[in-house]
Amino acid sequence: MDATIAPHRIPPEMPQYGEENHIFELMQNMLEQLLIHQPEDPIPFMIQHLHRDNDNVPRIVILGPPASGKTTIAMWLCKHLNSSLLTLENLILNEFSYTATEARRLYLQRKTVPSALLVQLIQERLAEEDCIKQGWILDGIPETREQALRIQTLGITPRHVIVLSAPDTVLIERNLGKRIDPQTGEGHEEGCHRLGSELEDTGKEIYHTTFDWPPESEIQNRLMVPEDISELETAQKLLEYHRNIVRVIPSYPKILKVISADQPCVDVFYQALTYVQSNHRTNAPFTPRVLLLGPVGSGKSLQAALLAQKYRLVNVCCGQLLKEAVADRTTFGELIQPFFEKEMAVPDSLLMKVLSQRLDQQDCIQKGWVLHGVPRDLDQAHLLNRLGYNPNRVFFLNVPFDSIMERLTLRRIDPVTGERYHLMYKPPPTMEIQARLLQNPKDAEEQVKLKMDLFYRNSADLEQLYGSAITLNGDQDPYTVFEYIESGIINPLPKKIP
Amino acid sequence: METSSRELQAAEYLEKHQIKEVVSYLTSALLFFRPEKPKEYLISLLERLRIAKVTGVAFPFFMDNSNIVAMFEMMDSSGRGTISFVQYKEALKTLGLCTEDEDLQDDGHKITLDKFKEEVNKRMKEIWSAF
Repeated sequence: MDATIAPHRIPPEMPQYGEENHIFELMQNMLEQLLIHQPEDPIPFMIQHLHRDNDNVPRIVILGPPASGKTTIAMWLCKHLNSSLLTLENLILNEFSYTATEARRLYLQRKTVPSALLVQLIQERLAEEDCIKQGWILDGIPETREQALRIQTLGITPRHVIVLSAPDTVLIERNLGKRIDPQTGEGHEEGCHRLGSELEDTGKEIYHTTFDWPPESEIQNRLMVPEDISELETAQKLLEYHRNIVRVIPSYPKILKVISADQPCVDVFYQALTYVQSNHRTNAPFTPRVLLLGPVGSGKSLQAALLAQKYRLVNVCCGQLLKEAVADRTTFGELIQPFFEKEMAVPDSLLMKVLSQRLDQQDCIQKGWVLHGVPRDLDQAHLLNRLGYNPNRVFFLNVPFDSIMERLTLRRIDPVTGERYHLMYKPPPTMEIQARLLQNPKDAEEQVKLKMDLFYRNSADLEQLYGSAITLNGDQDPYTVFEYIESGIINPLPKKIP
Repeated sequence: METSSRELQAAEYLEKHQIKEVVSYLTSALLFFRPEKPKEYLISLLERLRIAKVTGVAFPFFMDNSNIVAMFEMMDSSGRGTISFVQYKEALKTLGLCTEDEDLQDDGHKITLDKFKEEVNKRMKEIWSAF
């Protein structure tokens, strides 16, 4: 096979760099923008896009029926993420735009703004500096499919769409308790006085008689009852909402999340915040390099075997590698054997050499690996890093001491057939077999305790080193733990909340 | 599923401005040089491209002359000074300079180093001249 047809050998630094710096997502975003705007001169456009550097800025749409708490959630998210809030009211009240003046006139006449005008207002607002640099949150827009389609045609795409939902009866009840504090919120009071009561509610804090009662008595005294919260009016608005939302939801297939609004405000806010700070699954090429850490008996070998089988990763068990080297009588094996005979731990340098030999092979680089059994302590971890074997997913399997004792001390082996049994989870079928079962001396209680102590002494350091590690409860059946590990590998790593 | 007119239009746009080649070049450069700050590096590459386009000066080719010679020598393992037509076609495909369906005529002679160099340079110029 000559050099042109042999498979490409890509040095592992390249995919590592690509993953760490999210090169694929960067290029994908740039290409998306190019295709949406299709500029005549692509290169200056790309330069401008890169200068703007706003790929990860929040672009959120919050939809929901009246009284679901959209405005409250939107305002809290705004404050937290430091983005701009766009609602129907504050778009119309923009004093510097002709379109806004036109919109205001139509709103006063007919109580709604035509979609074309509204979408134009949105486009103008989103082109402003603060929206570009810090992101935007649309509250209650798009209400209808027409608006959603118009927004899409202009190339405005949100990254996260949250739909609040709650049963109608709850919403009608809730709306009856709505109260407005007329004195909070930003300016626009002048404009408001001219424009009628609906617009007075812009940016004002919304309170509730049962769920969100302000503690200070002076606020309590000045709270006003807003118009149009009677049962009949709320029911009519709900009908309208249900008719429209059904056609809007399919416009945002993969980025939509429905959050139940029938729970305390803070819970809704917390769910919304975690959602908007998570990244969606990308199409980026990804070779998993998984590290499983945990005390002896936590199920690392089992999970590694399952992962290797399902995703065709290479299962690298450190202990296994050493034993194989000794059994095959390789050069390393000769060096390792005396340590095995004396039952001493193999020194780190030798260990790393054996590991490097395995991890540098082509199948490990191409398919990815699952490593377990190493590193045992901080020194080994640093050595691994220095050699360049950085895992891109690290999992800590936590199992309480009693479970581990139960799992390990009840292990037995049948010397005649070689079959492995467990007195609780997989008991031997007949009394005859049970009589002749033997226990591995390594599974004796004291040995297990020693090994666990060893692990826990080092685990705090390791947890600090692998900051983005995922901790799992290993005390469940193997397939549940496997599913957690899978979701940890497949989904992008959660972003740290600043 | 028929491709809609917007999709076709987008595909035409990509073709016309050779966007795929540019993106491929940028990504390869990033992964090869692995700069600390990818966005700044990309900006600098794009600026160079823009200036090169305006002034007509040499384009920042990814593969320079010594790379082409090295590649030729890799393929010509026996040192005869020529490579076969099949190798030549495969090499052009690997470099991304010719598509799967393009039919290169085999003029019966083996491909020499000069012809190879000339062909690679010619194709690269074609791609960059589309900007």
